[in-house]
Amino acid sequence: MRIHKAVVTAAGRGQRRIPLQEVVDRDGRTRSVLRVLCDDVAAAGCEHVAVVVRPGDEGAFEEAAGDVGVRMHFVQQDEPRGYGDALLRAADFVGDDPFLHVVGDHLFVARGGVGCARQLVEVARREGAAVSAVQATRENRIGRFGTVGGRLVPGRPRLYEVERVLEKPTPTAAEQELAVPGLRAGRYLCFFGLHVLTPAVLEQLRMLGEGATLTDALARLIGRERYLAHEVAGVRHDLGERLGLFAAQLELGLAGVDRDEFLEVVLAVLAERERTEGAPVEAPR
Amino acid sequence: MSGRLRAALTATDPALRDRPLAELVSDLDVRGLGIECADLEAFRRATSNLYERVRALFFLCSIHRDELPSRPGFAPRGRVPYDGYRHLLARRFEEAIAVFLRAEEASGPNDALSSALAQAYHQLGFQTLADQVRRSVRSAQGNQWMFRVGHPLDQPLRLRRELLARADADAPYPVLRERTPVRMDLTHSAWSDIFFLGMDHPEGARVLNASVDLAVRGRDPRPEPPIECWLRVIDAPVLRLCSVDLGAFADIDSLEEVFDFARDHLGLLKAAIIGAGVIPPGLEGSDRELRQVLATLCGEGRGLEVVSRVRDIPKGSRLAVSTNLLASLIALCMRATGQTKRLTGPLEEGERRTVAARAILGEWLGGSGGGWQDSGGIWPGLKRIEGQRAGPGDPEESISRGRLLPGHQTLDDEAFPKAARQALQDGLVLVHGGMAQNVGPILEMVTEKYLLRREPERTARHEAESIFDEILAGLRASDIDAVARATSRNFDGPITTIVPWATNAFTAAVIEELRDRLGDGYRGFLMLGGMSGGGMGFFVDPALGPGVRDLVQEVLLTQKRRFADALPFAMDPVVYDFAINPVGTTAALVPGDEALLAEGYYALVFPSLLRVDPARLPASRRRELERVGSACRTRTELGGLLPRLFDAMLPAPGADQVGDHALSVRLAEAGFDRELHERIRRDLVAGRIGLAQNRLPPSASVEDVEPEDVLDTLPGVDPGLAELGRAALARGEVAVVTLAGGAASRWTQGAGVVKALHPFCRFGGRHRSFLDVHLAKTRRIAQEVGARIPHVFTTSVFTHGPIDSALQSHADDPHVLGLASPGRAVGLRLVPTERDLRFLWEETSHQVLDERRQRMRESVHEALIGWARSSGEATDYTDNLPQACMHPVGHFFEVPNMFRNGVLRRLLDEQPNLRWLCVHNVDTVGVDLDPARLGLVLAAGRAMTFEVVPRRIEDVGGGLARVDGRVRLVEGLAMPDEAAEFRLSYYNTGTTWVDLDALLDLFGLARHQLADDEEVTRAVRRVAERMPTYVTIKDVKKRWGHGQEDVFPVSQFEKLWGDLSALPEVSTAFHVVPRVRGQQLKDPAQLEGFVRDGSAARVERLCTFAPRSVAD
Repeated sequence: MRIHKAVVTAAGRGQRRIPLQEVVDRDGRTRSVLRVLCDDVAAAGCEHVAVVVRPGDEGAFEEAAGDVGVRMHFVQQDEPRGYGDALLRAADFVGDDPFLHVVGDHLFVARGGVGCARQLVEVARREGAAVSAVQATRENRIGRFGTVGGRLVPGRPRLYEVERVLEKPTPTAAEQELAVPGLRAGRYLCFFGLHVLTPAVLEQLRMLGEGATLTDALARLIGRERYLAHEVAGVRHDLGERLGLFAAQLELGLAGVDRDEFLEVVLAVLAERERTEGAPVEAPR
Repeated sequence: MSGRLRAALTATDPALRDRPLAELVSDLDVRGLGIECADLEAFRRATSNLYERVRALFFLCSIHRDELPSRPGFAPRGRVPYDGYRHLLARRFEEAIAVFLRAEEASGPNDALSSALAQAYHQLGFQTLADQVRRSVRSAQGNQWMFRVGHPLDQPLRLRRELLARADADAPYPVLRERTPVRMDLTHSAWSDIFFLGMDHPEGARVLNASVDLAVRGRDPRPEPPIECWLRVIDAPVLRLCSVDLGAFADIDSLEEVFDFARDHLGLLKAAIIGAGVIPPGLEGSDRELRQVLATLCGEGRGLEVVSRVRDIPKGSRLAVSTNLLASLIALCMRATGQTKRLTGPLEEGERRTVAARAILGEWLGGSGGGWQDSGGIWPGLKRIEGQRAGPGDPEESISRGRLLPGHQTLDDEAFPKAARQALQDGLVLVHGGMAQNVGPILEMVTEKYLLRREPERTARHEAESIFDEILAGLRASDIDAVARATSRNFDGPITTIVPWATNAFTAAVIEELRDRLGDGYRGFLMLGGMSGGGMGFFVDPALGPGVRDLVQEVLLTQKRRFADALPFAMDPVVYDFAINPVGTTAALVPGDEALLAEGYYALVFPSLLRVDPARLPASRRRELERVGSACRTRTELGGLLPRLFDAMLPAPGADQVGDHALSVRLAEAGFDRELHERIRRDLVAGRIGLAQNRLPPSASVEDVEPEDVLDTLPGVDPGLAELGRAALARGEVAVVTLAGGAASRWTQGAGVVKALHPFCRFGGRHRSFLDVHLAKTRRIAQEVGARIPHVFTTSVFTHGPIDSALQSHADDPHVLGLASPGRAVGLRLVPTERDLRFLWEETSHQVLDERRQRMRESVHEALIGWARSSGEATDYTDNLPQACMHPVGHFFEVPNMFRNGVLRRLLDEQPNLRWLCVHNVDTVGVDLDPARLGLVLAAGRAMTFEVVPRRIEDVGGGLARVDGRVRLVEGLAMPDEAAEFRLSYYNTGTTWVDLDALLDLFGLARHQLADDEEVTRAVRRVAERMPTYVTIKDVKKRWGHGQEDVFPVSQFEKLWGDLSALPEVSTAFHVVPRVRGQQLKDPAQLEGFVRDGSAARVERLCTFAPRSVAD
């Protein structure tokens, strides 16, 4: 399986400005989130990237991407109608090829030298199947994510055969339908924001019709073709959450070349607070 | 050969595995049984299989309780080690067993130790089963996460957006309403729905369970789902819970209160909120704020209101109203928090199963309990519910054969055609007979019999299983008559074979009368639930039309009135119209500005709102008030609200005064002594009397008696003495005195009936009362000796009228002269002091309950102490029916009353030779005027001869002792410490042979002085003053609403007959008699053993029943 195309979805409600935000990346460079994502995608071997944006946003996104080493395409989505609709709009771009789907409001920070997108693409290439990146997530957070249930593929660490997909399940449903042998009690495999998808997913989206979600289509993929989930070595940060960007920056800073500088800044802030708030206040005479 | 029982328990061949225990050990003697017990003890410790372990425990229990005591050479006397008893009370069963086994090794097997071991094994068996159910409930998929949530921020649920959408900031939030039918079991498959049975024998656990809507005949226009619940968001960070039927509502603002199930009548709503995960059980004891959880769930500053109503369906309907209400509330909460796919409409199958699992969890949390079919109302129509084999992935796998949760299969139109549905609705009259009873002991009996594979119950169970198929076939063929025949046969055969106590005289009489009056139109009986007398059904010819329901109502009411004194009725009977509900539980969302909750809700909640300055109410609440106000003018269903609001805010004067007046009249009639009452109150308040003061001083020496202190008649009585006895009987020297002033408060758990008239057991094919049985024993002896023997029933203000009237019906009996001796004293109960309540609950030993129930009990105790304080300690208890406020003053007075009320004079006039009285309690059913025993008493010629039995572990409450050197009976209340009782070998049976002249002499009276009322009164008072006064605390039930009951502790005082044995001038003797003669029946749970150990058959042999019984 050759994966040389990627789709970044960035037209969601409240997502339009997120990819344009700037962060200091692991190499100490100040770049936009979109650029960081595109660099990851390029490192994964993708040469073409389609960004799904709201009409009129193309210019700002092109500027934010800068001189990126992939060929950029833009696809318009008039209204935020979810990832399913966004991917269908990129159908012409995708054609009959498998592709990498990246959600545009997340930042992915890999543990180790290999980027998250590349880890996923390598698994998909090796297995020749659709693969979703997943992360073991505590049950109190699963109501925000698509979540899969399944079983480990023998001899393939961290790779799962997906048997069930539910969108934003309650822990009640998760316990009944999404239990994964080998995971700690109360943890489930939630989507990470990266998928390698096959044209069959788009076909299912078309068949399901208007309003179909990506999770619906993935649920229908099961049984029709092989569908896997891979626990990538890394973490994802939802930049749309309160403090999401801050946490992502902290993560990047502490994982990158400017680690010492970051620590110094944090310590200096803490020390200054300690000095000014912890010092005894002299009573007025 | 040892190990035969182990071999049977582990056999793969059902023919061996299911052999009854009695058959397996029939050839073993005491030694052989001992060897088997040792082997079983080792086996039950080693085996990992739950049911092998539990069956081994029940085998051990049965050997110690039933087999060993029946073997020749088994030592009849022994002592129960007190530390073992303490372990038992604290539910440390293994430790208790170890102590008892060590004692057995040291002293050899004996009756006392076997009684202790039997009890310990029995309790451990049930504890093991209950623990397994709890583990299964907690580990059911979908329930586990709730136990892991330990912090408000861990709460993963969020309220659905639809419930937070409102027109503007002042508008009320939308209301989610759930409506749920109840369930009716059409098959009664011999209690196969008990969890323990379904988990061991899933193939036999099958029921047909119908979801039904109800209308109370004469009240409701048409059948509707009886259960309705509502949920909405409110603008206050509290949980606002309201039970319309129980008239309870509360704003809860702490997690601690959410988990306090006994504080008020909102326990079921709380259990649902917890069981649905709204407040996950893992948060219990987390020391966090409820408002934080609510903020996570539905937003800062907001809370939830949950309201329930069951349209006044009375308790005891056997339609699982409370479990279905719990399930309905859980479904409602699950919908609201996104745990169901759809917010409204019916549930999906998987969701129903989750609700059912959580209802079991909720029942465990709330300390109640139901069978696995009980939440059937959330499913539609008629369904087969069947036990399921545990398989891979089930938490029960390799622990039990069956799963906790059964499978449900709704019957389609072929299996349950529309014609059958209509015919069922037309031909089955569903009723509530008015009795509300505790079915807990029945369920224990069924479980134990099943595990022991006892015959004939085992065969009966197989028959019930085949009847299930007949009922199914009848429905498929729309042949409701066939269904009726099958359910009747099920009741007459398997059900009453397995548990004879499932029926009663009331049910039997109603069936008999309906059969007589309807002739061919009567088609059969449908037993519902654990016991008849409450919810039940009668099949009739549908052609008789709706009028037949009026006739059923009339018959029920007539029979209820007939048995009103003898059986515990909570209310008048009710007849229902019912319809099969085709949908199951379903929900609708109503916009806040259109939503109306139950009328009863507003009647309950609005009075407090109307008293508040409107400006201080949240805007949404003000708007609701306005809306309900305008709806009252336009909507007929709210027509009654305004008068109810006025009644609530301005109660009509005088209602309490009417009750007080009735009580004063009754007290005056009963000879209430106000002066004595005030003295007792003063003493109680001053601490001169009280529970702690009942006890003998610690310096008193209380020791066991020596062999020469008693006459042991266990080996038998010299038959030669019988002639002496017969001669005395023939000469008219003997009368029987049955103490029958009691209101069976323990028997009916405080409900109160005339115990003497309670038809407790079937003899000679029909239910007989205690009075019937005692008269019948006297009659047999009288016939034997050719005399007419006087038989006096001493009565109290509570029992005199009904007993006197019952005896009148025997007035022409040529063999027995039945007389009622009316009580001459009554007391007025008092609100207990906190000191006494704390002494009772904290200082004396009690059986600790399992964890949840114990916490419930402690919470109830705190609430009751609060009640005592707020009502006023030692004030008169008047907030109940008059008979519940008064109390008998102890059986010391019952014989002296015969001196005062003229009964003794009348006896002596009729039988001047009268010299001996056999005085016994109404519940000592095995006692009789055995001529040989009488001869023994006559030969010894003592003033008072007391009958005692060798003590068993259940014989708590005093005994025979040497107190400071004198051999006498000591009441349990007087024991200086609890351990002292366990050093005593004998227990009082309450039976005394009295030399009448010696007794009169003790009172300073002679026969001729009995006519002198003043002298007699003085004499009685003189002796009474020498008797100790005991303060006791009794439970009294207060009934309210529709079959609801609350239990309150009340203080009363009493003087006891046995203390006469302490008077130095009384010559006494103590005869050790067999237990079958001395056993007192105080609790319905004893009936099973009464039949099993042959006591019932022996009593029947002692009786010659009159042609007509009191129950006729």
